[in-house]
Amino acid sequence: MSLTPKTTLWDKLVWSWRPESNREAGSSIVSNFLLHWFPNRVTLKSLAFGYSLYLGTITFTLFLILTLSGIVLMFLYVPSVERAYWSIKDIDFAVSFGWLLRRTHRIAAHLMVATVFLHMFRVFLTGSYKKGSANGSTRPFNWVLGVGLLVLTLGLSFTGYLLPWDQLAFWAITVGTSIAGAVPLVGEQMRQFLLGGTIIGQNTLIRFYVLHVAFLPLILFGVSIWHMWRIRKDGGLAVVEQIREEAVESPPELPKKTKTYSILGIAKGTTVHVKEPSLLNKANSVPSSPFLTFRTLTIVLLTLVFTIGLALITPAPLEGPANPEVTPNPAKAPWYFLGLQELVGYSALIGGVIIPGLVIFGLALIPFLDREQKYIGRWFSNSSGRKWSVAGAGWGIVSTAVCMGIGVTMPVREMFPGIESQLFFDIVNPATLLLLTFVALYFLVLKITGSTRLAATATFSGFIVSFILLTYMGTALRGPNWDFYWPWQSWPEHPIQF
Amino acid sequence: MSTADKKVNNERRSFLTKLTMGIFGAGVASFSWPYLRSLSPNILYEPPQRFKIGLPETFSQGVEFLEKQRVYLFREGNSFHAISGICSHLGCTVKYTPFRQQKEMKVRNLDVVSTGEFHCPCHGSKFRDEGTNYAGPAPKPLAWHPLEISPDDGQLLVDISQKVGRDFRLVV
Repeated sequence: MSLTPKTTLWDKLVWSWRPESNREAGSSIVSNFLLHWFPNRVTLKSLAFGYSLYLGTITFTLFLILTLSGIVLMFLYVPSVERAYWSIKDIDFAVSFGWLLRRTHRIAAHLMVATVFLHMFRVFLTGSYKKGSANGSTRPFNWVLGVGLLVLTLGLSFTGYLLPWDQLAFWAITVGTSIAGAVPLVGEQMRQFLLGGTIIGQNTLIRFYVLHVAFLPLILFGVSIWHMWRIRKDGGLAVVEQIREEAVESPPELPKKTKTYSILGIAKGTTVHVKEPSLLNKANSVPSSPFLTFRTLTIVLLTLVFTIGLALITPAPLEGPANPEVTPNPAKAPWYFLGLQELVGYSALIGGVIIPGLVIFGLALIPFLDREQKYIGRWFSNSSGRKWSVAGAGWGIVSTAVCMGIGVTMPVREMFPGIESQLFFDIVNPATLLLLTFVALYFLVLKITGSTRLAATATFSGFIVSFILLTYMGTALRGPNWDFYWPWQSWPEHPIQF
Repeated sequence: MSTADKKVNNERRSFLTKLTMGIFGAGVASFSWPYLRSLSPNILYEPPQRFKIGLPETFSQGVEFLEKQRVYLFREGNSFHAISGICSHLGCTVKYTPFRQQKEMKVRNLDVVSTGEFHCPCHGSKFRDEGTNYAGPAPKPLAWHPLEISPDDGQLLVDISQKVGRDFRLVV
């Protein structure tokens, strides 16, 4: 594919700058700071919607929407325990378009959590965390940065959640900070450092506010820029590996480049593109501008339209003002923490500290456990990858359902009334059992297939399914007193106050 | 210049590297300490932990929830005790649920007559009416707080910063 010159008057009117040759398109990349982000040419495989689904672009766009709406909200919100709730009421009812700002900010935050997870699923399932053969590629490290971004996103959601200072906020923070308190030895100090005292109060609000509006967004911004820069340094999207494999078979048409560009003192060596023979030719690639810039712009606009559209039809709820004296029943966290709340319902130490810690650590470890350099950039690797993925998902459904069934029908503490040791109940509970089934799944598939990629695929697919099931369980199947109710059972009336 | 001079003294070089990194680390640590320390408050403007809750005779027999203090006050005849309403799991306020009729049961190997139990709305922990956790994730029994009679006006005083054993009773 190449550029067709646009010379008619109409073309020039609707787009004042339109590159008319590959050379002009290339020089736009070099001369424009914003376009410098992109390589000169980009492969058709990388552009394909079905490969990347543009989830990273969507996530970063949502972050920009959140930053923009968040900055305006900062002018309207007062981080004081007396006035926070009422300033949110004002935003909802007194400020012109305040309701739209708050709804947009809230819905974009929910969407961002969702797209961060989906982006992680995509990168895993296409095997894009693998190093590949590109010179200087450290894709495994970029995956670790991505896991860090996931944690930062959840941290931003959690800190933002407190700010309306309503019942939902107050009790989510009570539970959240108490989970920090469940950490052995240093837990209580950590809890008090988060709270800025021994109880939730003004100190807590101002801490979470500063974390939410300055500290975490700045770190997230920095790390995501690093994350995107690394994609360039790692030789582009992982799907380019396929072109590299093909190029090994047929020698490149262009001579090897000898010029060396480098950012002295910041990055070691030269970029991937300089040292390697060019993989890109007219048949497999196009100039980034306009092909990638246009697609990126489209994705940004679609994300914006979708977010605002959703904000228009989804009201942002606000419960009663924070009341430390009355806990709502049931008291639920936002949806992305409800799977965790389900696990915390068995043991605060296992469900709130050890399992999330192991999941984050396990996720970061994936590229170092699975070092097979095959099927990079291919969805589910190959047919046996698809098979094991389905098998892992099936295992996830069964093991999660069984563990939750055990949790509902056989309360451990009632089965062993004679045991007083808390350690026993921290170890023997459905959450631990669930964790063990996934460890078993990994080693079982590893033993059968002898492939770390297949074992990781099965386990990860099981993890996705389990995460969805647990979230569903916490959202829809738990009622007052965190009792189990089928969707068709109605909840009993519970007086809110004693 | 002789070859011996040109040879890099690796021992000295690595010592100097370590020394530089050490000084750098110490500098970073001493630089950040004031910032971190300032975030740990020296004075807490928190509500008092010791409350006057009223004259003993104003409380009815049975259980009463003191919302502000998040404490359940039990009165049996002239004997009083106070159980914390804060769940020992993750800090939600537990709710007292009275039984339809009294039940006889064995709690901590003692035969007791129980009139109700505590339920936690957050994660479903359940407690006997004397605080023992028997279901759900709660790792500890509910705390008991000491009660005393205020010497100046005879009101009941509850101190929620202190804990007492589960055999504590204040007889007036």
